[in-house]
Amino acid sequence: MSANLDILPVAGRSPTGLLARGMNAVGDNMAMSLGILLAVFVVLFSFAGGLVYHVDPYAIHGDAIFQPPSAAHLLGTDQIGRDEMARLIAGGKSTLIVSLPAALLTIIVGAIYGMAAALGPGWFDKSLMRVLDAILALPGIVILIFFAALIPLNNLSLILLLGLTSWPGLARIIRNEAIAQRNRDFVMATRQMGASTWYIARVHLLRVMAPILVVNGTLLVGDSILALSGLSFLGLGVQPPYPSWGGLLQSGLDLIELNPYWLIIPAGFLVFASMLSASLIGNALVAGWGGRR
Amino acid sequence: MVRLIITRLSTSIVSLIILITLVFFMVHATPGGPAYSILGVKATAKAIAAMNLKLGLAVPLPRQYAVWWWHLLQGRLGYSYQVNQPVALLIRVYMLNTLALYLSAIVLGTILSIIVGLIQGVYYDRLAGRIIGGLQLIFYALPSFFVGTILILIFAVQFRWFPTGGISDLRIENPGIFVYISHLTLPVLTVAIVSIAGLSRYFGQTVREELTKEYVRTAAAKGVAFPRILFGHVLRNALRPLVTILGLSFPYIFAGSIVVESVFSYPGLGWLLWQSALGQDYPVISAIVLLIGVLTILGNLLADIVNGLLDPRERFD
Repeated sequence: MSANLDILPVAGRSPTGLLARGMNAVGDNMAMSLGILLAVFVVLFSFAGGLVYHVDPYAIHGDAIFQPPSAAHLLGTDQIGRDEMARLIAGGKSTLIVSLPAALLTIIVGAIYGMAAALGPGWFDKSLMRVLDAILALPGIVILIFFAALIPLNNLSLILLLGLTSWPGLARIIRNEAIAQRNRDFVMATRQMGASTWYIARVHLLRVMAPILVVNGTLLVGDSILALSGLSFLGLGVQPPYPSWGGLLQSGLDLIELNPYWLIIPAGFLVFASMLSASLIGNALVAGWGGRR
Repeated sequence: MVRLIITRLSTSIVSLIILITLVFFMVHATPGGPAYSILGVKATAKAIAAMNLKLGLAVPLPRQYAVWWWHLLQGRLGYSYQVNQPVALLIRVYMLNTLALYLSAIVLGTILSIIVGLIQGVYYDRLAGRIIGGLQLIFYALPSFFVGTILILIFAVQFRWFPTGGISDLRIENPGIFVYISHLTLPVLTVAIVSIAGLSRYFGQTVREELTKEYVRTAAAKGVAFPRILFGHVLRNALRPLVTILGLSFPYIFAGSIVVESVFSYPGLGWLLWQSALGQDYPVISAIVLLIGVLTILGNLLADIVNGLLDPRERFD
């Protein structure tokens, strides 16, 4: 006989040991706490940072050009002598001011599209899903680059661009879930009692699907920040002279031969922290609600 | 099997037609239009009208749409505004570079993901599994442009082991294969690092699910040694969904390589797309967008068919 039967996991059995179960609970809580902590840090840094750190992000300090971090300039200065810390704070503001509304718009469009497909007649669902397949055949960043080349870039157009191109993934999740829900007994009963499709969508489906919307909404905030930072990194997002995390990272890369670590690591870390925060919170919510997204 | 291929093929063709139509309308809905971006801000109305005539944009939209299809079916993709070369030629040159980058990265990423996923699946509830799970979360949150820049900073600037970018060294007269490999190393590593988080997590969960199945307990009860169960049965079964996910993740890994190519100034399709977008070179942009869409749809089709071949149950879905 083999002596290693106990290495095999058993379906439906949670870890047996007290320690392992404890570690699971602590792990989930820690993930959630760390996620919230990072989110608070990123938001405070971007919106309240200027209240603590009084340096003009556009001021040129002629006496300190391309300086590594020092007491005078906490995170150093760039190649024309602007304070990097102040630019990261301003960059955070311009990044979040676009990506947060964009994420909200994505959720609204995705939810409406998915619901419409699920509750409409069969041919309607089929055609909406074919269009969805066609759009999903393109990676989000390709669609973004494509449109960014076509339109003038400012805060409003970037919000619309990000918000109106990132919804297909969510729409499919919402549609599949709404189809699963609409055949449940309580929905059928409501329909028999004469409730309209709109009433069912608004009162029942939206409520049952709230967790899915919250989880995916959280993840979308991270995706939205990443997408905008990527676009800005490529010079197709927030336009100079306004700083953004992606744009700041790109200007660090331009000078890479000079080893400008202070222009690269903090900017990249802020994008990373936003993404990590969103996925930690999103995953912890999924674990807490005991389901998959 | 024939039925599966026919149904999948027809949905793919419908998706393709929609995609081609979408791209047409997106390009032709441009404010100002291509003539404006070729001639610049100072162009007179007369010059724009003349350029529109030359580009075939003066005829009614339905006719333009028909011409667009006619040219596509003949494989005529037009001329680049920026470099005045046939788009098809440009794409052929850059495509090879992207394939070299993408294929090496996907081979490296898949091998690493299988190793990591196996360890994670076996030691799911133990320390090793937890550490891997945590690392996956961290790697998943790392943006590709950050990873690429950090790798340049460490391995190209600090240690000077690899070049900071490009595909070859212009100062060398006959660059050998090693020059190309040294230019490819950092971009390949970046794409592999970025794709490994999602792939290994998925594979780890599949291995874990397979390990809970009846056939594994039966084999173990019969006295089959654990390595034999793992590599003989579990690995084989867990690899099947990985084929699907590799097919489906094509657009995401490719999207990752667009940004990575830009970071390393690596002359591939992603870099070409970026440069064309900055220069508003619509024929090149739309050709690349179409190409990626077509490849993605084909990738999905292929994944479905391969799955149908590997697992008879899939054929009657």
